[in-house]
Amino acid sequence: MTTPAWLIEPETRMGPCACCGRRAKGDFVEKTIAGAGRVLRATMFSADLASEDGFLQRTDARVKVGSAVVLLLVVAFTRHVSVLVGLYAATVLAASASQVPARLLVRRVWLFVPLFTGVVAFPAALSVITPGHIVVPMGTWFGTPFGFTAQGLTAAGLIVMRAATSISVVVLLTITTPWPRLLAALRALRVPRAFVLVLGLAYRYLFHLLTSITDMYEARKARAPRDHDLVRGRAFVAATAGATFGKAHALSEEVYLAMVARGYRGQATAIDRGPLGAVDILVFVAVVAVTLVAIGVDHVVVH
Amino acid sequence: MSWSTDVFVVDDVDFLYLDRFVALAGVSLTIRTGERVALLGANGCGKSTMLKLLAGLIVPDRGTVNAFGTELTEPALDDDQFARAFRARVGFVFQSSDAQLFSPTVRDEVSFGPLHLGFDRSEVERRVDDVLELLGIAELADRAPYQLSGGEKKRVAIASVLVTSPDVLLFDEPTAGLDPRTQDWFCDLVVELHRAGKTIVCATHDLAALDQLADRCVVFSEEHRIVAAGSPAEILADLPLLEATNLVHLHAHRHHDRVHTHKHDLDHYETECDHR
Repeated sequence: MTTPAWLIEPETRMGPCACCGRRAKGDFVEKTIAGAGRVLRATMFSADLASEDGFLQRTDARVKVGSAVVLLLVVAFTRHVSVLVGLYAATVLAASASQVPARLLVRRVWLFVPLFTGVVAFPAALSVITPGHIVVPMGTWFGTPFGFTAQGLTAAGLIVMRAATSISVVVLLTITTPWPRLLAALRALRVPRAFVLVLGLAYRYLFHLLTSITDMYEARKARAPRDHDLVRGRAFVAATAGATFGKAHALSEEVYLAMVARGYRGQATAIDRGPLGAVDILVFVAVVAVTLVAIGVDHVVVH
Repeated sequence: MSWSTDVFVVDDVDFLYLDRFVALAGVSLTIRTGERVALLGANGCGKSTMLKLLAGLIVPDRGTVNAFGTELTEPALDDDQFARAFRARVGFVFQSSDAQLFSPTVRDEVSFGPLHLGFDRSEVERRVDDVLELLGIAELADRAPYQLSGGEKKRVAIASVLVTSPDVLLFDEPTAGLDPRTQDWFCDLVVELHRAGKTIVCATHDLAALDQLADRCVVFSEEHRIVAAGSPAEILADLPLLEATNLVHLHAHRHHDRVHTHKHDLDHYETECDHR
């Protein structure tokens, strides 16, 4: 093998290795990849939280999943905002007893609630959608007074608080429970084993593929200067998506063979945990009691 | 079902990927009980395909593969009794640990095989604890696979196969990508397993570890055929063979102020390069 001359001679076409003062911010590709990295870090942080010695972390995952289902049902059928505010406060209290930073919980909940639920609920507060007593007048609409009605604001508040409380319950469940225990709890609650197996595989390989995408981007970054051309950026994203799809396909075949080699024949099996402890049963009874009280108060307030 | 001392008998096998790309051409091979066999060859010569055939994960396009006296065909592998007995006897450690570690935690991973082979739950739990202790990874039991290093993943992959105590262990490039200490640990493990009576087949191109991994070597050519078989010493001494099969190459290196060139293999390195 003969080494070509251009590989031996010093490269003369490059500029000096020094700053020229011109700075540029990252493009959309860089931001997307950085976002993927943040997902990984956030998950690692969640894993740390799940291993803390807090109230919810000590509670059996099956009890937490069961309690979450009960709470979500109660939240869905509650008709008064004050009851929902009470339930939301209970989730914040549970978070603080579980060493979950209140800022983290509030940010995760109130970042998405205004964005998705608020946008839907906002028009419902207007007199054209929900007629009633106008408490915030905004002028006239075809000769009739127009503005936010008390009934509309109550309905919007109900929707927003339902969403916020439900999201709080789910966020608390997921950040205080290690993913494997959550999957085991789903199995124990008779969720089909094949479905739980697929969920576990998806979670496992999501990290593998995310790392692969980050590697591809860093390999590109190591070989080429920052490129601001959007067309080339889109082409890179498409090529990365294609390569990742190909990798995922090859990996899925290999994973299936690895499962078959160890006796998998289409029926998923796993070790389930033993019976619940007395404290776990007590926690579940307490949750049911709280929900019964909430239903009672809601009934009294509404009537 | 008739059991014999021949664990595998491969007879005149062809295998093609996508009906076009030849992976194996006219390969015949016998592996006997308690043997340590290394399948040697360059990248893409068909070693991994051979292991997948022996593991009953693929079937040949032509020729036959017999395991424990029964031909490995799709109908045979669909048979519950045979599939369960065969999978319990043959363990396969894949080259890619990421493909093999698909469960949420190390404990789930190691228990996957025995649970699916119908072992009793308490027996599974006992064996999982024992094998994690044996391989020095008990503290990793509740960790997720993405939190493990390459060496730890390899140990977990081996544990996930050893837990069912298979008679035959198939390893695909077991030392590739491992640090020297983990490579040494693996070689010691193979010696121990062989002493315990296991049949071991390794696909590798790691000539440095050959003495510890095998008593018999089978060499594949880049034309996907078996071109030689013999003891590690015989194979390593046959430089024209190793060069023709792309297992050694002309190598130039420097000793202080002197640069010289020779075929790169262990024996040569230890004799002609003693002037280091």
